[in-house]
Amino acid sequence: MFFGLLLVERPAALGTYCHQNGVKTPMTNQISLNLDINGKSRQVTVEARVTLLDALREHLELTGTKKGCDHGQCGACTVHVDGERVLSCLTLAAQVEGSTINTIEGLSAPGDALHPVQAAFLEHDAFQCGYCTPGQIMSAVACIREGHAGSDDEIREYMSGNLCRCGAYPHIVDAVREAAKELS
Amino acid sequence: MTIVETRAKRGDAADGALGGRLSRIDGPAKITGLADYALEHHPQGMVHAVLVESAIASGRVVSIDANAAERAPGVLLVMTPDNALPIKSATDWLNTPPSDAPYEPLARSITFAGQHIAAVIAETFEQATAAAALVKVYYEEAPAIAGLDDPKAGDGMPLDRMTIEWGDAHGALANAPIRIKHEYRTPREYNVPIEPHGLIAEWKGDRLTVWEPSQWIDGMARTYAEWFDIPFENVELRSPYIGGGFGSKALALEHGAIAINAARMLGRPVKLAVTRAQTFTAYGGRPATRQTIELGATRDGKLVSIVQTGANETSMKAVQVEPLGSVTSIMYATPNFSSRQNVVPVNTVKPGALRAPGENPSAFGIECAIDELAYEVGIDPVQIRLLNYAEEDPHARKPWSTRRLREAYAAGAEAFGWSARQPKPRSMREGNQLIGYGVAAGTYPVRRTPGEALVRILGDGSVEVASSGIDMGQGTYTILAQTAAEAIGVPVEKVRVKLGDSSLPRAPVAGGSQFANLITGAVHKAALAARDELIGLAINDPNSPFRDLQANTLIVENGVISSPRDTGAGVGIAEIMQRTGRERIEALRDTLPENLRNEKDHFRNFTTITTMLSPTDGDYSLHSWCVHFVEVRVDADFGTVRVARMVSALDSGRLYNPKLAESQWKGGIIMGIGQALLEEGIVDARNGRVMNNNLGDYLVPTNADIPDLKVISVGIPDTHASVLGGKAVGELGIVGVAPAIANAVYHATGVRVRDLPITMDKLT
Repeated sequence: MFFGLLLVERPAALGTYCHQNGVKTPMTNQISLNLDINGKSRQVTVEARVTLLDALREHLELTGTKKGCDHGQCGACTVHVDGERVLSCLTLAAQVEGSTINTIEGLSAPGDALHPVQAAFLEHDAFQCGYCTPGQIMSAVACIREGHAGSDDEIREYMSGNLCRCGAYPHIVDAVREAAKELS
Repeated sequence: MTIVETRAKRGDAADGALGGRLSRIDGPAKITGLADYALEHHPQGMVHAVLVESAIASGRVVSIDANAAERAPGVLLVMTPDNALPIKSATDWLNTPPSDAPYEPLARSITFAGQHIAAVIAETFEQATAAAALVKVYYEEAPAIAGLDDPKAGDGMPLDRMTIEWGDAHGALANAPIRIKHEYRTPREYNVPIEPHGLIAEWKGDRLTVWEPSQWIDGMARTYAEWFDIPFENVELRSPYIGGGFGSKALALEHGAIAINAARMLGRPVKLAVTRAQTFTAYGGRPATRQTIELGATRDGKLVSIVQTGANETSMKAVQVEPLGSVTSIMYATPNFSSRQNVVPVNTVKPGALRAPGENPSAFGIECAIDELAYEVGIDPVQIRLLNYAEEDPHARKPWSTRRLREAYAAGAEAFGWSARQPKPRSMREGNQLIGYGVAAGTYPVRRTPGEALVRILGDGSVEVASSGIDMGQGTYTILAQTAAEAIGVPVEKVRVKLGDSSLPRAPVAGGSQFANLITGAVHKAALAARDELIGLAINDPNSPFRDLQANTLIVENGVISSPRDTGAGVGIAEIMQRTGRERIEALRDTLPENLRNEKDHFRNFTTITTMLSPTDGDYSLHSWCVHFVEVRVDADFGTVRVARMVSALDSGRLYNPKLAESQWKGGIIMGIGQALLEEGIVDARNGRVMNNNLGDYLVPTNADIPDLKVISVGIPDTHASVLGGKAVGELGIVGVAPAIANAVYHATGVRVRDLPITMDKLT
């Protein structure tokens, strides 16, 4: 029965509509969310199926969080929810109402000094193209906070959820080691 | 337009000069999330396109039932070959004139699984994705050839232009006292940039703006202009940051045409993000290869003949060559040589360029084969390479410009501790770990295309550099700031670099490891011209304190103009500009030879590769070189292989920024470790689909797979190779890694694996 329901064709007329810029925009199951992102309260109205990643990138102009696979396999979309690293592509925006969300944009305010992890990434050239980098940095901050930066091997293990195709891994280890020292 | 502010490494002014270890100046934008990659723009009214792909590998689309999709919420258009506006064919990158037939990025006739057959455009990404699943496609399926190993694939077609021969290779082989013959194979491999392909296209009248990651702004802009029949100048392509390309983002692709066409049909900006699964079929990676290498040698290991026959898979519609003789024909001295190559059409997307196309699998063959010969005749693997050292290019019969390969063997062996190697396989062990040492060499040619750059000195004494060339992580922003700072004589913090926009001066492809050399050359030339004009201003302007001095008596250093004869403190550039009433000094320079300095050839130079010089054009043979030393540890029970440590010595000539060049080398080495141990596109023989089309199943190295890597630069400036002395960097590092690991695995286990990747099932 459940699968039968999914396969039922849904005529457009059953959707709800709003008018935006004079364009008739069909909407499906829109929900209004109040999200706590980088210490700010942000309102967003999205479909219930919108992931946290797409909410950030497409609806909240927070494009620092990257989409690499949309399947929880690359780590580029790593953000912090209540201080823990999560994959925002596998998290619905609706799931995190009431939680504290931190993204790369919130790590250091514009104009302020860089977070020690960011500074160490720059100093050790721990990236090339930069696309996996926000996810790497968010993972690294959590990795250190979790107490998983005790040795190079431990750093490697706990940073292995974030793929880097440019191959910055040895420099990422250098950066995390140095930042961990500075933050201890 | 992106302006990257310079940020120098803390407190070390020397790092800003060319050759200094300046941290990348685009770094702050990347580590704070502010770098704006292509798909992060939101033009007003933007809608989303999702591709529908062929489920069969061969046959034709009989019909498409789009009714359900068209009625789904938010859907604006289901684009099929039947309703798409026509697109013209375009000139290709080899300057081949277009055919009169239209270009059809949505296929009716299917030659591979995953081919684009329709696109759904909807108000939101979620709506387009959901509706795309409702598109029903009816096919007439034909038998498919799944890959190189499919019995139906056959031997393919010989490519005579790939044949390289000298001496009597077969005769000499037949008479050689030592003969070895083996087949080496590499699987289909994928580029896997972490930023998937995609674009945003927006039309305003007959002007097109495209935000898209691109390794070649001008080449892609030309294709778009021709496809949509608008002047080249009407295309603005923006690509200030590229989330990795590795060869895959240099050419306009079908999905680009689809998105731009959808934007034209709907009159709204369209964003099309290729999904990760689609990245395995929207463009091709390295084709699968096989090669048989026969070596003939004397009993003391001196080569007398090399005979190679190779083949790579290609698509049904196009010939893509992975040149398997490229390293085989230049690495070792041999009096007799033969290399021939076939291409084998199979039902795949057209293969593409993946880091060191040709050199990479070519080195896997010859560098494993020479290792096998070393064991056969009982000589150390480093020694046999030195014994057969090519003192000149054995194919072109020209001297090397520089070949610091002996120095690389020496430096690498010393740093690695090669002398501790026990010669016999399976003779080094620690507990349950079999230890193996392996070595292999690599090379990559120096390619040369003329460049162009604009350099401005502004009224405030700052400097701007502009080029449509790109930085995908190689460090273009940074080394251009260093080049201009040094040539003009200003601190590097005073230089802003603008890249990645087709409205800026032209640039050829950032590929073939040519870009850093050609663009630093152009910036250097433009910067010196701007400096000359600045000095001219200083000595000619009646308001200048230096009026009537000789040009060659003035120096510009640290942003200050001074005369060594004058003991005064000198005058800042900004003050000279102010006193002389100048707002800017601007120098646009190209490095085209005189015979190409006309509008037509200028355009051809930057939008095709027809003016690229081969490494042996001229009096010398120009190549970068490297040697990799590897220690592997293989679990004696399970056959799991770990790379425990690596030392690589590389000759890329002069390094413009060693910090960034080392990162590129290491990146190539890491990709090589993935190639050796992990990476393999697996095709379902039943239906021709890539089964592991995701990052959980197509395995690339993770942080835990990579040990500490030591890289040693043994290069010296090579001004035959480039104006400023650099040679190829980006593609060099990967070449030779896989054979070094295969050779180390043999040394550890006594098992010779000749088909990549080296997985545990092949060792137990």
